[in-house]
This record gives sequence, C-alpha cells and structure tokens, in this order.
Amino acid sequence: MIGKEEKFLPAKRYNIADVQVSREATAVKPAVVANLIKKAENPVLITGGVLLKEPKLVEIAVKFYEKGIPVIATAGSSKPLIEKGVKPLFKTYTLHQITQFLLDEDFKINGKKVDLVVYLGFLPYYLSRMLSALKHFSDIKTIAIDEFYHPHASFSFTNLTKDRELHYAMLEEVLSKL
Amino acid sequence: MFELRKGVFIDELKNVTIKIGEIAEEEEEWEPAGPTLEPGITDLRKWDHRLLERYEPFYAPVQDFCNLCTMGPCDLSFNKKGACGIDLKTAKARLVTIACCIGASAHTAHARHLVDHLIEEFGEDLPIDLGGEVNVEAPVTRTVVGIKPKTLGDLRKALGWAEKEIVKVLHSAHIGNEESPIDYESKALHVSMADHVGMEIADIAQIVAFGFPKAKPDTDLVSTGFGIVDVKKPVIVVVGHNVMYSRPIIDYLERQGKIDEFEIAGLCCTAHDMTRYNSKAKIFGPITYQLRVIRAGLPDVLVSDEQCIRADLVDACSKMGIPLIATSDAAARGLPDVSGWEVREIVDALVSGKLKGVFLPVPEKVGEVAPLVARAVFERNKDRKYRFFANDEELKAEISKCTQCMSCVFTCPHNLRIDQGMALAQKTGDFSKLAVLEEQCLACGKCEQACPRGIRIVNVIMRSNFEKLYSKTGKTRVGRGPIQDTEIRKVGQPIVFGQIPGVIAAVGCINFPDEMKSIVEILEEFLKRKYIVVTSGCHAMDIGMIKDEEGKTLYEKYPGNFDAGCIVNVGSCVSNAHISGAAIKIANIFAMRPLRGNYAEIADYILNRVGAVGFSWGPYSHKAASIATGFNRLGVPVVVGPHGMKYRRAYIGKPWKKEKWWVHDVKTGQKVFIEPAPDSLLVAVETKEEAIVQLARLCIRPNDTAMGRQIKLTHYIELSKKYYGDLPDDWHLYVRSEADLPLKMREELLKILEEQHGWRIDWEKKKIIGGPIRGYDAGFNPTIVDEVFARYRR
Repeated sequence: MIGKEEKFLPAKRYNIADVQVSREATAVKPAVVANLIKKAENPVLITGGVLLKEPKLVEIAVKFYEKGIPVIATAGSSKPLIEKGVKPLFKTYTLHQITQFLLDEDFKINGKKVDLVVYLGFLPYYLSRMLSALKHFSDIKTIAIDEFYHPHASFSFTNLTKDRELHYAMLEEVLSKL
Repeated sequence: MFELRKGVFIDELKNVTIKIGEIAEEEEEWEPAGPTLEPGITDLRKWDHRLLERYEPFYAPVQDFCNLCTMGPCDLSFNKKGACGIDLKTAKARLVTIACCIGASAHTAHARHLVDHLIEEFGEDLPIDLGGEVNVEAPVTRTVVGIKPKTLGDLRKALGWAEKEIVKVLHSAHIGNEESPIDYESKALHVSMADHVGMEIADIAQIVAFGFPKAKPDTDLVSTGFGIVDVKKPVIVVVGHNVMYSRPIIDYLERQGKIDEFEIAGLCCTAHDMTRYNSKAKIFGPITYQLRVIRAGLPDVLVSDEQCIRADLVDACSKMGIPLIATSDAAARGLPDVSGWEVREIVDALVSGKLKGVFLPVPEKVGEVAPLVARAVFERNKDRKYRFFANDEELKAEISKCTQCMSCVFTCPHNLRIDQGMALAQKTGDFSKLAVLEEQCLACGKCEQACPRGIRIVNVIMRSNFEKLYSKTGKTRVGRGPIQDTEIRKVGQPIVFGQIPGVIAAVGCINFPDEMKSIVEILEEFLKRKYIVVTSGCHAMDIGMIKDEEGKTLYEKYPGNFDAGCIVNVGSCVSNAHISGAAIKIANIFAMRPLRGNYAEIADYILNRVGAVGFSWGPYSHKAASIATGFNRLGVPVVVGPHGMKYRRAYIGKPWKKEKWWVHDVKTGQKVFIEPAPDSLLVAVETKEEAIVQLARLCIRPNDTAMGRQIKLTHYIELSKKYYGDLPDDWHLYVRSEADLPLKMREELLKILEEQHGWRIDWEKKKIIGGPIRGYDAGFNPTIVDEVFARYRR
C-alpha cells in the first residue's frame, strides 16, 4: 500500500516545452483519486491503446468495471476488456470523438451528464490535447492515472515513469479504496 | 500611362518604347460557367458553413496563451478573450488558418518556381500533354479556376488565382479581423482548396516538362531504404521537395556518360521526383532519415532545396565533412551566394573545406558542381561511411555517460524509453532495448539537446540497430502522376455504388506513433479486401522499405492500377492533387457533372457518393494540414495518427444528434434524415487497430446501393470484430433494409436489431418492417446544397 509522502516524485511536466499552462493539474495520491470518483455523480473510465501492450492495465480496467465504474474503450482496448467480461459503453469511437461528445451539454450517459472522467492507458501526447479541450471548454473534471504527469488534467498522478511497480501499486490502491 | 492625344501621331514619337503586355483572350467556353468561377474568399462560405454545421470544429489547444502581438501575451484559458478581443477557440482557428496558409504557400511557391523556370527553358507554348489516357488534365484547376490549361503558359493564370487567395486569407489572420471560429475555418478550407490547385499546377508542369511518367500504372521499381547505395561509388544525396534544382545533376552525368559511376539518392519528395525523372536514382527515405544518412557519413555531397528539410543541415553536414549545396531561395542557410562564381571556384571552395557550404540557386551549375565535389570528396576519404561511431569502445563509452535522468524521455516526441535501453546496455552489454527504439525513432535529435551529459543519443540508437537498419531496403514503384480517365470510367460506378468498398489515400509525413511497418500492416488489410489504395510522399517511400517474409514490398505484391486491390503511388507531395483530382473526375466522367466553377456541387457529390478517405498516419508538416483541409472541403474525410492532434483542430460530427444528419432528396423533393455517413471529416486515432476500423467506417456513404452497403458493412463489421472484439456500436445506424446486411450474418443481425434496438422484423419474409432511420430507395439522390437541389429538381 502506498502511503508515505516521500515515495511520490515531484510533478514534472512530461514535455518540458509545455510551459504555458494557466492552470496545472493538482498532483494527487491514490486515496484522493478514489475519493473524487466516489463523490462524482456520473463518473466514467476511458481506456486507450496502451492496454493492447500492457496487460496489467487491462487487469486494472477490469477491476474498475467490477467496482461499478462504466468503461468507454477506445483504440481497440475493447478487445482485451471484452475477453475478460467487460461490456464497454462505447468501443467504436476514438477518444477524439468521445471528447467531442463530452463537450456537448446534451451528451448523456445513463441519462446523466458525465461529471468526472478517469483516463487509463493513453499515449501521453494524444491524451494531453484531449485534456486541454475539456479543461478549456467544459466543466467536466478529469483525472489522469497514467505514468505521466498531465498538466492539462484537473488531477493527475505525478511522473511515475521511473518506477512501474509504484505506478501499479498506486492503481491498486485507488481500486482498494473505491 | 501615356495617352495618345489629339494631334499626336505614332511616327512623331521619339525614344518611346511601346510594350504590349498579355493579350487578354476570352476564355474558351469549354463548359458553361458555374456559380463560383475563380472563387473569392467568401464565395464558398455557404458550403463551408453547411459542412461545419454537421462536422463541428473541435479545438484542443497546445498552449493556453496567445503571443502573436505586442499587447500580449494573453491568457486565453477557459475561452477567455485576449487584448484584441479574440477568444481561445477563434485564436486556435486562426492558428490553423495560418498553418494552412503556410502549407498552401509551400506548394504554390514551388509551383511558381517551376512554372517560371520551365517557361524560360521550354517556352510558354509547351503543351499540357499527360498522355492519351488523360483528357481531363487538370480536374482541380478546371473546377476551381475554370480554365482548361493547354500550355505551360496557361498554368500561370491558375497560379495567379491561388497566390491572390493565399494572400487574402493570410491577411485575415492579422490582429483584429475575424470574430468567429467558423469563419476562420471557412478561410482555412478556402486556402487549402487553393493548395490543391497549387499542387496540381506544380505536378502538371514537371510532368510535361521533365517527361515524368504519365499515368502509367506499371512504372519502374526503384531501390529504397538506408542500405541502398554502393559505398564504393561517390554518393550524391538530394533532400527536399523541388527537383528542379537537382535534375541537372542527372542530365550532366548522362551527358558525360558517367551516371553509372555515381550513386544518386534522395531524401523526402525530391527523391520521388528524381526517380520519376530517371529511375537510376534511388530513395533513401523520408525526413526522419536525414540525420541517419548524414551521421552515417553516406553522402559525399548533399544538395538541399526546400520544405521539410532540417534547419541544421550546415551544422550536421560540416561535422561529418560533407559539403552542402543549398539551392532554393526558401533556405539559403546563411551561406554565401556563389551564383556568379565559376564552377571550378565553387568546387575548390567546397572540396578544400574553405566553405562548409554554398548557396547556389542556379540549377545548371548545381548539375555540374555536385558530381565534381562528390568525386573529389569520395576519393579523399573512402572509408568513412557507415560510421555512427568509430568502434564499439567509443559506443560503450558514450552509453556509460547516461545517468537515467529521463530528460530525453520527457523531450522525445514519442516519449521513447531511452533510459531503459541505456541502463540495460550499461549493465549487460545488451543493446536490444536500444535497437528496438530505432524502429520508432524520428531522429529529430531533441533528446540530444535535452541531455545534460551531451550523449549522441541518435547515433547510439542507430548504431544499436545498425544491421536491421541497413537491411531495411526494398522497392518503391515510381510515382505515376495522374489517374487515367479510362480507369475512372471503369471504377467510377463501383465506387459510387459501393461495390468497391472504398479508396484509402495514405499520404503525408512519417510522425508515426508506431514502428514503420505499421503503415504496411494497415494498408494491406485494405488491399486484401479489394479497396483501392493510393499513396504519395513519405508514406509511399516507407511502404517501399518494408518487406514481407518473402522479401516483397506491397508494390511488388499488388498492381499499380487505380482499381480494386491495387496500390497506386502518385508521386511526391504535389502529386496529391491527382488524388483529389481522381475524386473530381469520378463526378465528372462517371456522373457527367460539370466542373467549371462548380465546386460546391462537385464536393457535395463526393461527400454523398464517393467512399474515399484520406489517411495520414504520421502528419507532421504544415503542408499536411493544408492537404487534409483541402480534402475536407472537397467532401473527403481524413483520419490522422495521434500526432495529428497537435494541429489543434478537427471536424467531428455527433451521430447521436439526429437533426444534424439530413439531405435534400432530388428524387422526392423531400428533406430526408439520413444515417451519419461519414460522421467525421477530420479525426485522430491512437493505434493501428483504431485506424483500420475508422477508415472502414468512414468509407460508408448515403448513396451506397444495397449491394454496396452490404459490402461496406461486411468489412466494417469484420474489422470491428477482429480488432475491437465485437460488433461496432453504430452498425445498425447504417442499415436501411435487410438487403444492407452482410449475407452470412443476416439472421443473427436481424435478431439483434429486434432484441436490442426494438426494430420490427417480419420473420417469415426475413424483412425489416420498422426501425431504420430511413428506408432504401434505389433512386435516392442526396444533396446538401440548396442550389443543386433547386437546379436538378426543376
């Protein structure tokens, strides 16, 4: 279980050229992520293409689903998830399209507007642009729980690229607290 | 102006020169003119707005601030307004407009260079002859500018129009103009349409003047890849996009009878055009091969022209002792202009090292200087090639400097895990993790700029995968230029009806998110399924490097015709106009739609009927932005790889908003709500799996016949099951009647329609009796252009 403050690396922008950000993501610990999800009225987890290369992330996404968090699978991540019993809300649309939908006030999932999106398993530069769109043009809260710190998210894990096991442990801790 | 007054006679004038300028000839009435002949900046605004109502712009800012003027920097975050009053969305739309202006300017300036130079060399009466199979010689120019160019001189008129429009659109990007992002988008679409005119003019001019292949499907195969050159010969490397400057090298060597004593290989689109000029030339690879080739010490001389060339060539070449000849006025590189020097003086200055490089914008002199320099440099130092490091000890010493600080990883465009590769090599001497990086590395060199220890990371990666890099060689089929009218006659109907499930146009740069072979994996999926695949530029040369288990590239496995299951390489960047031209020709040759000044009608026809999708797996340049946006205005959707997000703007429809998806039906006179096909005009994907499925779904068009829809749905459903593990979310939206359903799955799908979507099925007849957005009507004649509806309804 991750609990000690000193285990967390400083929040560093993965792309040091990404310097002009007016509001940076708050770097958060797993317990905070779990609380944010629990407090949300209509949260979703969106999964990306990295799941096709990293089976551990598939395992994590399945556990989120089992905890009752609806899953939107993009980039082909639906395939391993469906094989493990997940029924994604969407599997055909790209993250780009899903983000366009989320930006629309009329877009509802289970009859309600989405108020919190958790992202798992994306190419960092691809996800970064989507987080930027939601940051500027919507009031949806976003949480990035990949291994890179995402300045455009509302909340993000810090940079965990040096320690994959720590990243996995943090993901497990989020799940354990849901 | 001098005016003849009463009482002054010509024979009384002394020391007066009378110049007669261009004689204005009335344009031949080859076709009645449509509503938008030589359209101005707002003439197609209504069409654009209609498109953008459906395909809403999506903005993803890279930065939250605007720094364009001195009132700034302005914080525009959360769509705030800046000092000039512009909000974030509009600022991003302006930025995309500027990017499209840059792209359009690049191709159009290229065209201007070529046309002026070629008129000087060949005269303005040189006929536009693209071979016996091509009568519609300039479909884009005919449609937009309204002329049917017969000679090189005629191209100037179209060029003049494009240049005028680019300037007008760029003007709109000045502080204090547009207030609406939609109107900026309209301008981006406009200037990108001009881009396609510029590209078409450039390629037509070089085809007719340089004798490039004229729509020939079975052009020669040329060697492609890092390991293609015989290092026992002097190597001349050309890099850039305008072959005008390097063509004389081949002419000179041919005249001297020495072409076989040299190796001539190119990087980026100049390579394509060199091989179109003479198939003894070879293709090293795309822009990402510049540092690979230079740091390997392969060139004995390097000739640069314009666009997509590194901005540090003088530095990179001089470190390797490679003389540089810069030729284009777009990239003089701080080098001395030696246009007025004797050839011998220039050669001496370069070979002796007195000058690292020269600026020589005189093509004929380049033709002579480059071989002479290459020969001398080669003779002096024959054994320096292929040396990223002098030896393994030097390589190991370089690797040992790494502290795994991660600076390189955070800076790398792909966030490649260089740290892990270095660590493994340090601990065990195993370079395999570093070697894998080469497959994805852009060799941009940003990592080296970030590295606090000054490690030559690019060299380390290249050396680690040297054997594979060296053996990554294959064959590219030389760019053929236009699509034949006869080919269009053959495939026009099956494309419009849907029996040929789609045309996939893989064009653009190489900022791939994955290994290079991914482009081949994606395209082969469609070739096997009998789609038409068209390619150009860097995509086309990457395809030529990747071989299958039998050592064959796609060009050796699939024919070069514009037909089902074939792969067509049209050529360089400017050859992309032949792809938009082919879509236009389908409307014209198959459907007999008039072209002249009739842009909206043609684009509307393509949007509703021609299942063509652009695909840029690794978009990188401004030119890629304008090429894609130009396709969008023509009604062709484009799928881009994940780096395409950084253009900041996309056009994405909302299929769940039923009121957005309608057409006029000319047959019934009714407004008909339709399936959302295609549902996006510009969209980015993250993985190759996603690219494949998106491309298949975006080929669906409202006009598909039942047979055509059935074929398209079959592929879409099969690909979704294969790569997504299930039926697509939206397959039912595309079903109009039971005849649209894939034959093998009909019963299963009917059951799903009934149980999951509440459709009514007559099980006895196995017919759908209620549920679809609309029923199938063989005479359905869709349009979203009010004027087209009114005209054909009469």
